[in-house]
Formats: sequence, C-alpha cells, structure tokens
Amino acid sequence: MEVVERKDASATKDRKVDSTEAKTQTVGWQSLLTFTILSLAWLVGFASRLFAVIRFESIIHEFDPCYKANNNEISPAHLGLQLRKINASRKVGFNYRSTHHLVSHGFYKFLNWFDERAWYPLGRIVGGTVYPGLMMTSACLHWILNALHITVHIRDVCVFLAPTFSGCEQIWTLQAEETVLNSGALNKAFFILGSGLTAIATYLLTKELWNDRAGLFAACFIAIVPGYISRSVAGSYDNEGIAIFALQFTYFLWVKSVKTGSVFWAACASLSYFYMVSAWGGYVFIINLIPLHVFFLLLMGRFSFKIFVSYTTFFILGLLMSMQVPFVGFQPIRTSEHMAAAGTFALLQAYAFLVYLRSKVSWSDFKHIFVFAVVSVAGLVFIAVVFLTYAGYVAPWSGRFYSLYDTGYAKIHIPIIASVSEHQPTTWVSFFFDLHVLICTFPAGLWMVVKQLNDERVFVVLYATTAVYFAGVMVRLMLTLTPVVCILAAIAFSVTLDNYLVDDRPSEGKDAVAEQASVESVAEENHKKKKKDLYDKPGKKKPVTNRQNSKQEEMEKEEDGGLLGANLKGMVVLCLMMMLMMFAVHCTWVTSNAYSSPSVVLASTNYDGSRNILDDFREAYFWLRQNTDDNARIMSWWDYGYQIAGMANRTTLVDNNTWNNSHIALVGKAMSSNESSAYKIMKMLDVDYVLVIFGGVIGYSGDDINKFLWMVRIAEGEHPQEIKESDYFTPQGEFRVDAAGSPVLLNCLMYKMCYYRFGEMQLDFRSPSGFDRTRNVEIGNKNFKLEHLEEAFTSEHWLVRIYRVKDYANRVKSSLPLRSTNSKSKTKYIPRRNSRKGYIREKLNVIQGKRVIKRGKKKSKIKKTM
Amino acid sequence: MEAFYKIPFHVLEVPNLKLRKPGWVKPPSAMVVFAFVLISYFLVTGGIIYDVIVEPPSVGSTTDEFGHSKPVAFMPYRVNGQYIMEGLASSFLFSVGGLGFIILDKSNAVGMSKLNRFLLLSLGFVCVLVSFFTCRVFMRMKLP
Repeated sequence: MEVVERKDASATKDRKVDSTEAKTQTVGWQSLLTFTILSLAWLVGFASRLFAVIRFESIIHEFDPCYKANNNEISPAHLGLQLRKINASRKVGFNYRSTHHLVSHGFYKFLNWFDERAWYPLGRIVGGTVYPGLMMTSACLHWILNALHITVHIRDVCVFLAPTFSGCEQIWTLQAEETVLNSGALNKAFFILGSGLTAIATYLLTKELWNDRAGLFAACFIAIVPGYISRSVAGSYDNEGIAIFALQFTYFLWVKSVKTGSVFWAACASLSYFYMVSAWGGYVFIINLIPLHVFFLLLMGRFSFKIFVSYTTFFILGLLMSMQVPFVGFQPIRTSEHMAAAGTFALLQAYAFLVYLRSKVSWSDFKHIFVFAVVSVAGLVFIAVVFLTYAGYVAPWSGRFYSLYDTGYAKIHIPIIASVSEHQPTTWVSFFFDLHVLICTFPAGLWMVVKQLNDERVFVVLYATTAVYFAGVMVRLMLTLTPVVCILAAIAFSVTLDNYLVDDRPSEGKDAVAEQASVESVAEENHKKKKKDLYDKPGKKKPVTNRQNSKQEEMEKEEDGGLLGANLKGMVVLCLMMMLMMFAVHCTWVTSNAYSSPSVVLASTNYDGSRNILDDFREAYFWLRQNTDDNARIMSWWDYGYQIAGMANRTTLVDNNTWNNSHIALVGKAMSSNESSAYKIMKMLDVDYVLVIFGGVIGYSGDDINKFLWMVRIAEGEHPQEIKESDYFTPQGEFRVDAAGSPVLLNCLMYKMCYYRFGEMQLDFRSPSGFDRTRNVEIGNKNFKLEHLEEAFTSEHWLVRIYRVKDYANRVKSSLPLRSTNSKSKTKYIPRRNSRKGYIREKLNVIQGKRVIKRGKKKSKIKKTM
Repeated sequence: MEAFYKIPFHVLEVPNLKLRKPGWVKPPSAMVVFAFVLISYFLVTGGIIYDVIVEPPSVGSTTDEFGHSKPVAFMPYRVNGQYIMEGLASSFLFSVGGLGFIILDKSNAVGMSKLNRFLLLSLGFVCVLVSFFTCRVFMRMKLP
C-alpha cells in the first residue's frame, strides 16, 4: 500500500516537474517530495518491524505455524528459516550483557573483560573476541542522552539503538529482558528515532549510481523487503542490523570517491569501513569487493588517477583503522582473506608508476612493454602471496570463508559450521520468499546498468554477481544480496516508469532533472535514429545539435510511437502498480507471519483461530535463576548458551560463540554416550545441571533430538574412537527413536533425558502412551531409571527439561565377610637374652642324620593331621 | 634518460621478437558479460548449489492410496528443500520476468511501426505477468 502511495507521489512529482516553469520552484518541490518519501519509507520500515512488539504487549507471539508443522523426516537441515531466526535472536542475550558491562564498567574494563561465566572451565576473553561496534554504538547513544540529562537505562538504549539504523529491532529484546529481569518501564519517547538510516544510505548509493528517482524506489524497497527484515526485526539486538547500514554507507562513499577522486571521500569511506569492521565479520566482503572493482577497472583499461587516489587512500587508512579493532588485530596483514586487497594495492602502484613513466618517456612502442610489465607485476604479486602463504607468514583461508568457494568443504570437514541451518545452501523458494517481485526485475536492472556502463556501474555489476553467488551458497548471506537487488530492481522499475508514466508531449520547459535522466537514452535513440535516417535518405546528414535532435525526435515519437496511446501506457503502469502492491502485501504478510516471532515465546494457532502461548523457555530460565546456586554450571547444547547466560544468569559450558570446537565436542560426547560414561565427563567438567529441549509433547521440531545427529557428528570429529555416527542409525541407515531404533541411541544420555518418564504419558486417546508428536512415533525405550541424574524441572509443555547431576554416591557396603585383622602372631616370642647369639629366624635346623624340616610347615602338617 | 636506458643495450642485443596479441583475445562486449551473468543468475537462483551439496532427486515421487507411485514435481511444505526440476523451472520464470522488463524497455525504442511496438509491448507484458503469477502459485504450493 505504502509503495503505491509513494509511487503515486513520485508520479505526481513527475507531473509537477513537467508543469512548473520556474526552476527554483521545481527544486523546492523536488526536495520536499524527496524528503517526504524518504521519511515515509523510514516510517513504514519502522512500523513493519513492530509486529513482534505489538503482539508482545498483548502477550501474544506468533510462532510461524507454516514451518512448524509437517516435519516428519528428521533431517538437521529441515529447520530452515525457523532455526535461522532462532540463531539470530539467541545472540541477543549476549550482546545485551556485554553492552551492559561496557556501560557499567567503562571501555577499557570492557576490552579486558574476562568472562568466567561462559565456557566454564576455560572462560572467555570477551573484549578480544567480539566485534564491539554494536555495543559501542549503543553505549555512545546512552552517553549522549545522559549528557543531555535524559536519564535512560542502557536497556532502553539497546532497544532504541536499532531504530536509528534499520528498524526498531531491539525493542523486543528489551521487552524480554524486562519481563525476565522484572524492572522499569519502557520509555516510549524514543520510538520516534525511527528506522531507515539504511534506507537513506541505499537512496544515496542508488542516486550516485543512477538517478534520484531510482534512489527513492530503492529506499522504499529496502525499507520493507523481507530479506532484510528477517535480520532486523524488532527484538534482534544483533550485529547485522547496523552492519548492513555500514555496508551500504561504505559502498556509497566509495562510489562517491571513485566519482570525484577526492581524498576526503576516500577517507570517509575508510572511516565507514572501520565502523563496519567493528560491527560485523562480514567486512571481509567489502575488503574483497572494492579491490575486485579496482582490478576490473584496470582490466577494462579504465584506469584514472581518481581511482588511484581513492583506492590508495582507502586501502591504507582502512588497513590501519581495521587493525585497531582488538578482535581483528593483525589479521589484515596475516590472513589470506585480506591478501587480495594488498595485492591489488601493489598492482595499482605498479600500474600508476608505469603510467607515470609513459608520460616521461618518449617511447613510441612503450605500449607493448607496458602491457608486459603490468602482466608480470600481477604475476609477481600473485606468486609473492602464494609464497608467503606457503611459508606460513600468511594464514591460509579459514574454514568459514573457504567453504564459500569449495561448497562441499564445510559438510565434510567442519560439521559445526554445516550444522547451523543458516549456513545451508539456498533453495529457490528462499529467493522468492525473501525478495518477491524484485527477484524478477533484478536481471532487467542489471541489463540497464550494463547497457550504459561507467566506473561506478562496474562496481554494482560486480556487487550483484558476487552477492548472488554467495547468497546461493548460504541462506544467511541473502542479507548481503538484498540491498543490491533493491538497487537494481529500483533502477528497472524507475526506467520502465520513466518510459510509460511520463507524458510524451514535446516539452521545451522540461527541467534539468528529467532531461538528465533521459539524456542517455535519448543519446542512444539518436544513434539509432541516425541509422534510420541513413537508411531512409542516405547522405542527408545535417549537423544537428543535441537539443534540436531530441526535439525533432520527440515530434517523431508523437507521430508513430505516441499513438501507442495513453490508454495502453496507463494499463502498463496500472499493472506495475498492482505488482508493487502485491509486493507490499507479501512483505507485510511475511514479516508478520514468518519473521516476527521471538524464538523464546512460541505460539500456535488452534483450528478456531485462537492462539496458544507457550512460554516454556522463560519459565525454565526463570526457574534456573531462582532455584539454583549462583555458581551452578549448566550444561546444554551450544545453541542455548547465550540464552542461559543472559536470561538465567548462570555459568554455561558452551555457547553460540563457537570458538572452541573440542570443548563443544566434549559436550556432544557427553550427550551421545551412555549414562555412566557421560557421568564421568560431566563430573570432569564439574556440571551441576543439564538442560535439554524436548519438543515431543507439543510437536516442536527444533528440539535436541532433531539436532542430535550433529552432536554425534561433532563429537565423532574429536573422539572417533568412542563415538561413531553409524552406531546411531538402524542397519537400514535410518535415524529413528521407536522400538526399531539402534540400541546405542536408545540408551544414550540425550535420549534418556528427553524421554525420561515420557512413557507414562498418554497425550491423547488415539495414540499409545509415549507417543512422540514431533517424530510421530511411539518411543522405543519407555521404562528406564536414571542412575546418575535426577529430574529437577520440567516446564509446562515439557519443552525444557532440567536434570540435576547427582553427587558421587556413598560407597556401597561390601557383602563380603569382614577381614579379620586381630590374628595373633604364630611364631613364638623368643626373648633376646635367652637366644643364642646370631639367631636367624627362619634358619633351618639341621641335625645330622635327620630330615630337614621347615618350621612353619611342620606345624601346618600337624594341624592338618589333627 | 635515454642514455641511461641505453646502457644495457650496449652489451645485449635486442632480439628480433614480434609478440602479437592473438586475435581472439579481446574484451568481451557488455552484452556478452550480461549474458554470462544472467546464466549464472539463472543457475544460482535455481538452487544449483543446493543441488550439488544436498543431491536431491530431480523429481520426487509419492505413493497414492492404491499403491501406485506418482511423480511429484514440488517438494511440498518445505521452504528449505527442493527437487532439481522445480528449482530450474522457477529460476527460469525469474529470468523470463527479467527479460519481460527488458522487452518492455525495448518496445519504447524509436523508429518502430505501431504493430511491432504493440507486439513487443504485449510480449514483454505477458512475460512479466506470467512469470510473476506463476511464481506466486509455486510459492503457494511450497508454503503449507
């Protein structure tokens, strides 16, 4: 709806543009409309991210029913969208905790913060292993507000930080925290900050690339497109929300600096790059894409000193600044991911030097040597990088990035990366679901850009190509594809509407803006028309000015083309509008149904339309908070680590920051081995409680049994002797928990913890007792006792089950008879003084003529005979 | 400067070498590049990477109540799973939609008879609308 509204606005704008004569007035109208449209986009983007919050206030949270149902097959990948969201919002707790620490203890304390409550025996150096951009941003806002004597709690700032960026993503966080922590009320005033900086950055970028009308379209698209909303919806206090803004803004500044060739813009770009580095690991995309752009420009022979100035400035400043982030440290000069940038830098210097030489030397065939030199320098740089990598000065590609190029790599070698469902490859539905009509217009936009190529547009072509590829490899990287799709689709729509919406009257009074947009197409048309002229009347070439020509052409257009009729054009425009409207409806629907469900609260819809709220997670975390010792160690699978730390405030063993694979493997091993050997591991790790998520009662498919195979796989990676994945399958190679399942599975700790006493439960009359609704089977192992664990807590719908690890049992009394210890010595005591000198105790008494008898034996013989 | 460069050539003799760029090496035209990008776009949006990694069958099959197995083109109710053919079909539609927009733009070119213009316009329009609505129908099938 809003899109249409805004489209109408832009349509009226065009008409206005036509009708006004005074230029100043036009400019005034234009800026007013631009401002209005941008602020409307901001407002809409903000509002559509509010679903979760509004529902939450009425204590209702939609849990997407579409993806929950019908998950009969147990594949770890099947969680899809669902898990992707869950993982996104699980970081929330940690981000909030560290922001809180930053504000309450100051920046330097934050950098040196050693968190002993995570990764239990090891601890975690938070300051050095986190991208601090998000926390810094909210802390800065907090500081500014407090300096203005607007006293707000840091939690409120966390909530309202995101509004400034992409949408009010953090609001839900606040709400959840609030309910859990049971403190203060929301300060609603800051809602006004609103979303949309990303939209504005996109507008600026598109304006640089094409024109301002396309820019407005792009801003509207990015404000509501589901691919971006999925990561920035209210409630995810997450890095990506501000990172996409930083990404777009860096690209805008880079394009600007390429256009102007000024050091100022390049320095701004590197500043923005620094912000991006401090916010998200995805900065690697920037530092590879910009060198790629420069490299392609060199390849196409488009070298200019503008590019030289801007890239040199950007690279050096960006390198220095990115090394200031503690987590990044020396990576920019030590890892392969950054070597492309350095190599391009060297190549550019060499190229520029050769260009300089060419200007000095009066050598006619310098050209050949020039090409040769450039090629050899490129080869030299490449060999140097390879050599450095080989010699160990430069770290090779890390697994995470390597898996982007060799797509099968993660599946084989790094199960922990492959296990996260947002790292799964993308299917076509995800593309259409997240981008809708934009995915169809994307090629058209690309065509228009390719048709009229210049330095900046090379950049957007490269951006589009790489982003499409990366989005295909990982669902998660759909996030980087979304902005460029918005830009290109906006260009396509804008050009089409330019063609069909604008009146065809020959208009001398047409203002500069409309002219500027059409100049290029006019130029091309001129070209064609000249050809036609040649065909019609060869030799009749008169030098016409551009102005005259275009006028004449418009006349001609009216003659033949204009007759196409306003009606037909109107229909085209109408249909386009309808498509855009459907896009808006789709976006709203997706946002409301699929992306606005906080993962902690689940809701399901009944057949009569009423909603059930399942608040089991928070119930369980609250129980942990209230009923366990402050220093209790909770073992769970790593997905829940941040949540437990944030909401229950207890020590965890592993969490979502998966930096230590072997530790996770140890937890996986404990979960997948039988109870007694798991007990050894748990005692070794000093575990007090174990938490599992079990969805069998309500049919929640994201539970631990469905993730179990990944635990086994990860454990197998580190302990191949003890754990074997094949043991957990039936001989037919199926993973099943009913009576036909493998005995190893039916006796492992995870199975027992999930199904303890589940066999006694009959969910409804049609199914037998112990019927698992998620997997739709009756479980195989029903009556068992737990030996080393005891059930401590099970939430209302059995979603969360917590077990206490028993202390070592007292020693069992032996059934054997007591050992007698009071036996008297059997040898006779011989006082020293009576004995002969040099008495030897066991000396054989040798008497001539008699047999030698051992003393001891003699007696026993006697006893026996008796 | 010249004298400086001449120094090595007092000793060395310049080989009479003629290196020529082979004729087939030339920068590809913009439209060739675009075609390449479009093809790769077609493949990637069709989930070719998913197909390579997960290796789904090209068309699924199901068993009806009489025990006959029937082919199923779409993996139903799964947003993150697909068969190979359905992916290719829908990415074909995406590309057709894009081409429709291009044709729409083309139909606005100058110097064309009214009939041609009308035909191009309607062709482009049919492309856009058909692809868009078919995609919607496909998505409906996938969503429960």
